[in-house]
Amino acid sequence: MSTASSTLGSSGAATSRRAFHLRMILIVGIVAALEFYGRFVADATLFSPPSKIVQSFFTDIMGDARIVRALWICIVEIAVAYVLSIVFGVTTGLLVGATPFTRRAFFPVVIALYVIPQVSFLPLTILLFGLGPAAKIAFGFSHAIFPIIINVVSGMRTVRELHLNAARSMGASRLDTIRHVVLPHMVPSLFTGLRLGMTLNLLGVILAELYVSNSGVGFFTRLFAEDFNPGPLFALIGSLAIIAIAFNEIVRIAERRLTPGAHRKTIIKTAGKEKQ
Amino acid sequence: MSATSPNDIAISIRNITQRFGEEGAPDSVLALDDVSLDIRKGEFVCLLGPSGCGKSTILNIVGGLFRPTSGTTLVEGRSVEGTPHTDQIAFVFQESTLFPWYTVIENFRIAMKFRGMAASEWDDRAMKALKAVGMASFARHYPDQLSVGMRQRVNMARGICVETPILLMDEPFAALDEQTRMVLGEDLSQLLAATGKTIVFVTHSLAEAVFLSDRIAVMTARPGKIKTIIDVNEAHPRSPDFMLEPRFSELRNQCYALLRDEIRATMAAQRDPAGVEA
Repeated sequence: MSTASSTLGSSGAATSRRAFHLRMILIVGIVAALEFYGRFVADATLFSPPSKIVQSFFTDIMGDARIVRALWICIVEIAVAYVLSIVFGVTTGLLVGATPFTRRAFFPVVIALYVIPQVSFLPLTILLFGLGPAAKIAFGFSHAIFPIIINVVSGMRTVRELHLNAARSMGASRLDTIRHVVLPHMVPSLFTGLRLGMTLNLLGVILAELYVSNSGVGFFTRLFAEDFNPGPLFALIGSLAIIAIAFNEIVRIAERRLTPGAHRKTIIKTAGKEKQ
Repeated sequence: MSATSPNDIAISIRNITQRFGEEGAPDSVLALDDVSLDIRKGEFVCLLGPSGCGKSTILNIVGGLFRPTSGTTLVEGRSVEGTPHTDQIAFVFQESTLFPWYTVIENFRIAMKFRGMAASEWDDRAMKALKAVGMASFARHYPDQLSVGMRQRVNMARGICVETPILLMDEPFAALDEQTRMVLGEDLSQLLAATGKTIVFVTHSLAEAVFLSDRIAVMTARPGKIKTIIDVNEAHPRSPDFMLEPRFSELRNQCYALLRDEIRATMAAQRDPAGVEA
């Protein structure tokens, strides 16, 4: 074990610091290249250098109450769609995964729905839910719910026979077993579902926003694009990217904090007596 | 075995037969065929046999994890009908049965909660058992933070803390390296001497069986029967010196000779499953 880790790098901290430096060099390099391209090569009606985009973020985006409001609506849409998909996804997952029988009966339906490319239903969703936030929430929800259901079900399925037997040998009731064995076992898998769910939720909401919108982010991106005004266009898209990253971070932090037994840092390698 | 009164018997297994799947069905397996065995109080009995001979099945039936196809089992005079007698019996499986999502101390608490023991007792009993195996300072660690040997100490302590008269151990040391096995074997022998528990122990290891047992029940290949019972007359706690005695090797060789044919039969069955089942 010690030989394996020493070939990877002298110490964990030093390695991660070097990786951080390399990452920064890459990012600065890309920004510099874009800056050069935007200033000296590109057509100013199609592309803006990063410096101008940042400037435009503070003037055109943050300075326009309608756009700030549109971004805020987008955040609310993402949050509402996500909460709904967690509530319904986890409940459905628990019901489908409850017994091998229910899993056999319903799981193929879930899988079939999951693999359908939902973009083809986007026009239908707009027809059903209108041009406002409802359609975006519905589209985010329908994207996010499936990975959540699937991972809850597979998390329940992979409970180890050994743990179930142990619980039974201690006289655990069915409810005890679910509460203390099945559910905690499922948590890492649940979070895999929640992470995938967030990715697809963002995709769904933003896709619906860009497809059609009367006052949301989609409306303004179209406006700027049609005006050949790349500065605020990229600034708006960048804002969406920042929102997406922020939501993903929230899920990642929740996963780190809430997974039972996740803070396992100090692994004891040798136990005096047995390794001599 | 002959001169014991019924009161000295901790576990009485009578004519147990276990078939998995419907009789006559192509995937039906006769795991145990008419097994009878009496285990005295305070005795350490090993079930030794080739893979798949039904050793663990016997343990699971005694522990009430499932009901046999036919036959009865009495634990301290009470019949086991497929429900665990958790006040009399504790199981110790491989170390990986510790719940990885709970810390060491939480693993103890949950084991006692499942048994319906009063919450006020949990921590005292847990710490006492952890001290007995020298793991008291690791109560707040997660199992994954411990080495395999440490985990099995904790796992054994989890079985001990409920202070049942009977301990059923299903290949508890199978995942450990040989030195760790030996050390934990010594610990177990000391525990037996100190507490007078009745222990039924399933193992593949000849040396482990001879070192730990008062009696070794050598089983046949599937369908499992008890082929012979070998007495090991050596008081507990046993010291590692016992392993150096000529008697130890003799017993070990005796077990091996008994098992060799059974192991060959098992291997033949694995090569040609249809031929043996027919």
